[in-house]
Amino acid sequence: MPKTPKLFQRRRALLIAVGLAAAVPFAASAQGNEDIVIGGSIPMTGVFAFAGVGINAGIADYVKIVNDAGGIKGRKLRYVPEDTGYKVDVSVAAFKKITSQNKVNLYYGDSTGFSKTINPELDRNGQILMAGASFATELNDSAKYPNQFLVGPDYTEQIGILLRHIAKEKPGAKVAFVYSDSEFGRDPIEASEAAAKKLGLTVPVKLMTPPGSVDVSTEVIKLRRAAPDYTIFHGYILAPIPEFIQQGKQMGMTSKWMGTFWTMDSSTVMKMGEGADGFMGVMPYRYYYDTSAKAPMLDKIRALRPEYQSTAYTQGFLTAMLFTEAAKRTLDAGKPLDGKNLKASLNTIKDFDTGGIIGTPITIKGNSIPVGRVYKADMKAQKMAPASDWISLN
Amino acid sequence: MRIGTLKQSYIADAALFDSRTQKAWLAIGAALLVLFPFMASDYWLYLACLVAINVASATGLNILTGYTGLVSLGQAAFMGLGAYTVAIMQTRLGTPFLLNIVAGGVVAMLGGLVVGLPSLRVKGLYLAIATIAASFIAHFLFANLKLTGGTSGLSLPPAQFFGLPLDTSFRLYWVIVPVMVLMVLGAANLFRTRVGRAFIAIRDRDISAEVLGIPLLRYKLLSFGLSSFYAGVAGGLWAYFFRVVTPESFPLLMSIFFLAAIIVGGMGTILGGIFGAVFMTMVPELLKLVVDLLPGGVEMTVFLSPVRTVVFGLLIVGFLVFEPHGLAEVWRRIRRFFHLWPFRN
Repeated sequence: MPKTPKLFQRRRALLIAVGLAAAVPFAASAQGNEDIVIGGSIPMTGVFAFAGVGINAGIADYVKIVNDAGGIKGRKLRYVPEDTGYKVDVSVAAFKKITSQNKVNLYYGDSTGFSKTINPELDRNGQILMAGASFATELNDSAKYPNQFLVGPDYTEQIGILLRHIAKEKPGAKVAFVYSDSEFGRDPIEASEAAAKKLGLTVPVKLMTPPGSVDVSTEVIKLRRAAPDYTIFHGYILAPIPEFIQQGKQMGMTSKWMGTFWTMDSSTVMKMGEGADGFMGVMPYRYYYDTSAKAPMLDKIRALRPEYQSTAYTQGFLTAMLFTEAAKRTLDAGKPLDGKNLKASLNTIKDFDTGGIIGTPITIKGNSIPVGRVYKADMKAQKMAPASDWISLN
Repeated sequence: MRIGTLKQSYIADAALFDSRTQKAWLAIGAALLVLFPFMASDYWLYLACLVAINVASATGLNILTGYTGLVSLGQAAFMGLGAYTVAIMQTRLGTPFLLNIVAGGVVAMLGGLVVGLPSLRVKGLYLAIATIAASFIAHFLFANLKLTGGTSGLSLPPAQFFGLPLDTSFRLYWVIVPVMVLMVLGAANLFRTRVGRAFIAIRDRDISAEVLGIPLLRYKLLSFGLSSFYAGVAGGLWAYFFRVVTPESFPLLMSIFFLAAIIVGGMGTILGGIFGAVFMTMVPELLKLVVDLLPGGVEMTVFLSPVRTVVFGLLIVGFLVFEPHGLAEVWRRIRRFFHLWPFRN
């Protein structure tokens, strides 16, 4: 039969394919060497990809800078990222994959959900110090999350910085909160209302909208009725902030508009259009183009990448810098690089110079770095300009 | 060479596994499932557990959509009901985990019965929208009740089995996979019974089924209840697996994931639910492995991540266009090829 050899070939190919598939579980057990490994669940696709690509580049660049300078005490840094699509289950899979193939010391997580989900594993494993994209207030608890930290102020602290600025600029002002109906959005609202009252400010209205909603006309009417001096948006990236500002201005509102970290990237604010001129917000880091003071690390970034880099890039870059500092201090003390030692070393950071990325020396006592500055949008120059000095809640 | 199966009694004809070859393959499959945790890395064990949870939930949806012909986009909400029940019982009452999982299934089943009520009046897209409404209500409750921990959700300690904490994928595997196998076998058996046959009759033509004496409301509700029970148990397993349950853990997209799984796998076949869940869970991961094999390092990962998503999407579209009966039909064809070889191929 002329077809038989072909059939044999097909069956043989099928058998080989099955054999290869069966061998895959065994292949995934190669161990890492003496490199210091930074694993990363990075959202390079999905709704958070705009930040993930920047975060990835920031971490990779800092790792390159350290390795080009000889590493940490002769040990090289190795960065192992995986795309997660900003999904918790995929992110956990990435964590399992990276940690089973490498001896991971440091890890970047992509979301609050992931940080909370993986925490029991971090506690059990005891070998990894983690930071990430989340600034959730809940994570700022070193008893509950002993192996994690936030690379900046938590969301309540971010609004706290804005409230401090407001209390100084206009004592007794009326401040409205507009937030998304999500874990991210609701996070700081209750605590921030109490903080506002403590500072002598009043909160005439709190409005919750679906995340990313567009039709906000009824909410704008409620907001106008409350006539706040300041309106703080939280839990959004961009929409519906431009709609609020545009419709509010059309109705004659004189409120100043403000945002928190994930809204405050320069390119995001500039998308709000001319109407958002003067939009303010809290930023824990200097913008890429901020040359108002000496910042050697920003100079390095600008030399490495001549085009604008997002604040997500800076966040990734600073995370890698703090990871490296914790590892360096642990090795200097002659201790093994495990989660507990790395965190303890991180908490020895006192008046640390970030090379101008944060414009004031930082001290990390617990799980966050409660420092930030208010920046203001200058639409004509298409830049964010400082509107306050660095404000520390320490 | 196998050329047929001789059946000499009605019992033999109605048997779940009807040939020696089939039994032998099942024994090999069971042995592989037992051996797998001793051979696989933590990553593959994690994926195996995730696949098992998804298989359980997809099988439940297949009972409702594939066998009874009722469309639902509320599977994730029912999983959420199960997961929250487990989390609340574990954190507040400290009851044994198997009891919690069954309770999760029962609570989800009750939710399913309520959501199933409109199924006598509306069908198709209308019913799909009604089930979407149910998932919005569930999300609202999860996010606003004090009992559910609001938007922060609930964290739960690991399940305990005779004092042994089930806190690793290896240990959880021995709970999740046997429960999944039991549920799949239960579903396979269901369609050898009067109830299962009634479901199929309703799917094929509900008016004729009623004329034949099948009470539509009772059986449609039963189907919703069973499907939701499966989702609830899967949600309970999910809660123990991830140990954090938040309102955002069970989005509408997850319901679409399960619907896509049974369509890609093959609606109305037990194998379809299994293949579909495996496909939808594993293909993105396998595509990642392929991307990792390509040279270029981190920069290539950034470039190829969106390509991977597009390829996954195209694979789904490809299946729908070229194999509308799903992967189960592909499997049947492969089996037929080996049965008939070398006479016909």
